[in-house]
Amino acid sequence: MATYDNFFDTLGLRGWCGDSSGGGLSSMADLMGQAGGDADTTVWDTPFPSLDALHDSCDAIPQSRDLTQGLEQGFLAIKDSLKVVVDPLTQPLSWALEDTLWLMQTVPWFIMIPMLMLITYAVGRSMKLVGLVALVFGFLAFIDFYEHTMQTLAIIFVCAFICVLLGVPIGIAMSRSDRVQRSMIPILDMLQTLPPFVYLIPLIFLFSVTEPKLYGIAIILYAIVPVVRLTDLGIRLVDQDVIEAADAFGMTNRQKLFKVQIPLALPNIMAGVNQTIMMSLAMVVIASLVSAPGLGVLVLRGIRSLELGVGLLSGLGIVLLAIILDRVTKAALARINASQK
Amino acid sequence: MTDDIKICVRNLYKIFGDDPQGALEKVRGGMSKADLQAETGHVLGLNNINVDMPAGKTTVIMGLSGSGKSTLIRHLNRLIDPTAGEVILNGENILDYNERRLREMRKHEMSMVFQKFALLPHRTVLENAGLSWEIEGKNRKKYAAEATKWLNRVGLEGQGEQYPAQLSGGMQQRVGIARALTSNSDVMLMDEAFSALDPLIRTDMQDLLIELQAELHKTVIFITHDLDEALKLADHLVILKDGFIVQQGEPQHILLNPNDPYIEAFVSDINRARVLRVRSVMEKTDVMPADIAGEVDYDDTLESIIAVSEGDTTNNYRVMREGKQVGVLHMRDLVRALVPRHPGEAA
Repeated sequence: MATYDNFFDTLGLRGWCGDSSGGGLSSMADLMGQAGGDADTTVWDTPFPSLDALHDSCDAIPQSRDLTQGLEQGFLAIKDSLKVVVDPLTQPLSWALEDTLWLMQTVPWFIMIPMLMLITYAVGRSMKLVGLVALVFGFLAFIDFYEHTMQTLAIIFVCAFICVLLGVPIGIAMSRSDRVQRSMIPILDMLQTLPPFVYLIPLIFLFSVTEPKLYGIAIILYAIVPVVRLTDLGIRLVDQDVIEAADAFGMTNRQKLFKVQIPLALPNIMAGVNQTIMMSLAMVVIASLVSAPGLGVLVLRGIRSLELGVGLLSGLGIVLLAIILDRVTKAALARINASQK
Repeated sequence: MTDDIKICVRNLYKIFGDDPQGALEKVRGGMSKADLQAETGHVLGLNNINVDMPAGKTTVIMGLSGSGKSTLIRHLNRLIDPTAGEVILNGENILDYNERRLREMRKHEMSMVFQKFALLPHRTVLENAGLSWEIEGKNRKKYAAEATKWLNRVGLEGQGEQYPAQLSGGMQQRVGIARALTSNSDVMLMDEAFSALDPLIRTDMQDLLIELQAELHKTVIFITHDLDEALKLADHLVILKDGFIVQQGEPQHILLNPNDPYIEAFVSDINRARVLRVRSVMEKTDVMPADIAGEVDYDDTLESIIAVSEGDTTNNYRVMREGKQVGVLHMRDLVRALVPRHPGEAA
């Protein structure tokens, strides 16, 4: 005798429900209930009319287990056709990741580290920063994390680059049309708040775990949000008076975009790039769950086999990497700001 | 007047709101701005504007904030499109222009100077001044000479490589003016161009504009809320209130014959002796008066005559223009002109 029997009886839906007596047991609670016999239920024990509770009274109503299973079946059913579309589209990502990983690991350290220092100088124009970069990579190499550090760096470079490549145009589209903005914002909100593990699951179904694009996509989905948002914001914040002046002197929309809006939004766009890089770094650790190489693997090893020292040291390595990535992009941002004041 | 008319505004209406055409019918039916807003929520920006702007002269559009003057100037280059009416430039209705032709017009025939300067902060002064050339696709080498010439003309020698943020407000607006001049357009729209500057610099800039005008004879449309500035610069003065034209004409004439209490209130505060000129108060005659105390010029201000006469109100002066007598100035008329007409008299 289930709680909602009367409900279906009075509505005359008994026939539609089918013979409910002796319906399949669905949960541990049911089994316990059976074992304990029919205790007197009071009003206080009335369950919420959930799928499971209603199923007890009426077989025609599905259990919540059917719902999750249905979702899974549905996904598996479209998986193959989805793969036909997504697979070739994302294949370049796999190649880019493989090639960059190969390159950064093949170039010997005595060329790689000076090159990174050179890039730092080109971007930041600060000898102090170059010294910091040398120190951090020197330290990481000294404790034999060089290989892992380069892997992590390679993944971040590729993913952040693709984030900017896709994110800036999306942000521009959002800034030019309120409708695009309205439809994009919920998607961005979702990407930002969905726990990263959750979208790892469908990705695992979609691609094989050996493919680099699996973690590449996960990182890009997670890290693209700030650059999109801040590009949109930056362009919308450009002084209306200046836009009016551009109009008054006869600029076309394209000229306005490239000669006025993007240059003036650049500080905001760069702040977005900085955030995007930091978020890719955060995700690279989680992505090692799905075979992403790099420092995350060491963190994972620390957790799995309780190697405290390895876990702590690789954690420190990630922090150091985060610090220099942040400082270098901020230095670039400061230079842009200084030129515009 | 026999002047050529450069820009001609005909029956221009602008109504802000969801259904401007519907509201337009009501305005044409005689509904007032306040009633329209209360009844339909539409804002009447401009109400039946008709102005002829003479070529090579300065037309000043004056009004308090909210009078629609900035809206009006933006109709002249179609930064704002009207609800109804025509804007005729060199005989062509610019409202018939397509987007391409409109951009051509903005590049070659009209330039604009803004209240908040609106310079591009990421470009040097020289690159800002050469903006209209760059929009044409010409590179820095091509416009550098022209831009430098105009920067020098407005008093910015050697500042070409600075960034706008490194300059003071007055200097930034000089860049704004140089940018407008470098485009070599006939018409210059100036939207409260000097309002954001402090008083001394503002006077400098007004003198600069007068100097440039004497040399270049551009058609300048100048917006201001400052009557002193308007009287100093205007060849043709248009006074706006709540979106319609209260009075327009020669500034001296408006000052002496205000046709509306609103304008009387406006003109009562200004230094009339400095603004009014001999030609506006003299008696037109070529008969030589019997007792003349001296000769004065047609364009002298009354202030300078008072100084010459040392306060003697019985004197008569011979008014000369290019060596010929054009009239006689009686000091008695001069003194009378210094006192604004009593509001009761105007009606």
